[in-house]
Amino acid sequence: MKGKLLLPVLLVLALVGVAYLLLPKGTHAFYGTRLLNPKPVDFTLEGPQGPVRLAELSQGRVVLIFFGFTRCPDVCPTTMLALKRAYEKLSPKEQERVQVIFISVDPERDIPQISDQYAKGFHPSFLGLTGSPETIQEVARTFGVYYQKTQYRGPGEYLVDHTATTFVVKEGNLVLLFSPDKVEETEKVVGDLRALL
Amino acid sequence: MRWLFLLLGSVALAQAVATPGWVRLVPPVVKDTAAYLTLENRGKTPLRLVGAETEVAERVSFHQDHREHRGGQVVLGMRPLPYLDIPPGGRVEFRPGKYHLMLEGLKRPLKAGEKVALVLRFQDGSKLKVILPVEMR
Repeated sequence: MKGKLLLPVLLVLALVGVAYLLLPKGTHAFYGTRLLNPKPVDFTLEGPQGPVRLAELSQGRVVLIFFGFTRCPDVCPTTMLALKRAYEKLSPKEQERVQVIFISVDPERDIPQISDQYAKGFHPSFLGLTGSPETIQEVARTFGVYYQKTQYRGPGEYLVDHTATTFVVKEGNLVLLFSPDKVEETEKVVGDLRALL
Repeated sequence: MRWLFLLLGSVALAQAVATPGWVRLVPPVVKDTAAYLTLENRGKTPLRLVGAETEVAERVSFHQDHREHRGGQVVLGMRPLPYLDIPPGGRVEFRPGKYHLMLEGLKRPLKAGEKVALVLRFQDGSKLKVILPVEMR
């Protein structure tokens, strides 16, 4: 009886052991939403010193992109400050390989200089981009970003609803998403970024 | 002595009690910012916040965050509120992601650490002055 039980138990233990050894070393359980099939993404937008192309910028780097508008005192600064906190937790060497980008979905009011000054107001290394309304629309579609003017009181007098996700791009591929709630968890965001670097 | 009674009387009658939060320091290029605080109604009657003023901005408005889901992602925005009701014994939290007082049209860029005075107006005619520090958070 004893012998009959021993063999299956040993077998199961052996299988568990083999499975454990087969696990890839250093696997990181991502806190953000990982894309099972990384999506190729690219755009060229206006930066403070001319056009910026995502494909070039994301070579050997991790790029975090947030879409918003500058006349947004609650939602946008909340995420931009969360990104600032995470960025500042990284070592200078790691920071060199991370770029935070703010893209305005309000191109009528946010000209490239305003977008960039806004981004740099949170951290001098952040980058603010914008483009023509048509280009912004195209970029938003690439990332699945929704934005809509609301409470319209006249030209220049409106609010904008917008997708508040932070998109993480590496080597030209969209690999990870942080919801506005998840991006607040600084330590976990930093963990994810380090795993990607 | 009479003054003391008057003073005590007005304190006892104060329905609205504010716990200061902060005024958000935003990049100087932006002309709007948000102020946060908690407002409590210690009275026995409902309290309606109808307006607010500050010397540093053209206008102060109340906003509530708006949240919806589109394509599996969170879409955020804000909606202006004409007034805010605080039930007796209740409280309203102005904090990121919930309510905020929007300071529209800043007359000058604010500095970290400076104090901003805000006067809240209620429907019953009462006013409440709140001093908030400017902080980048």
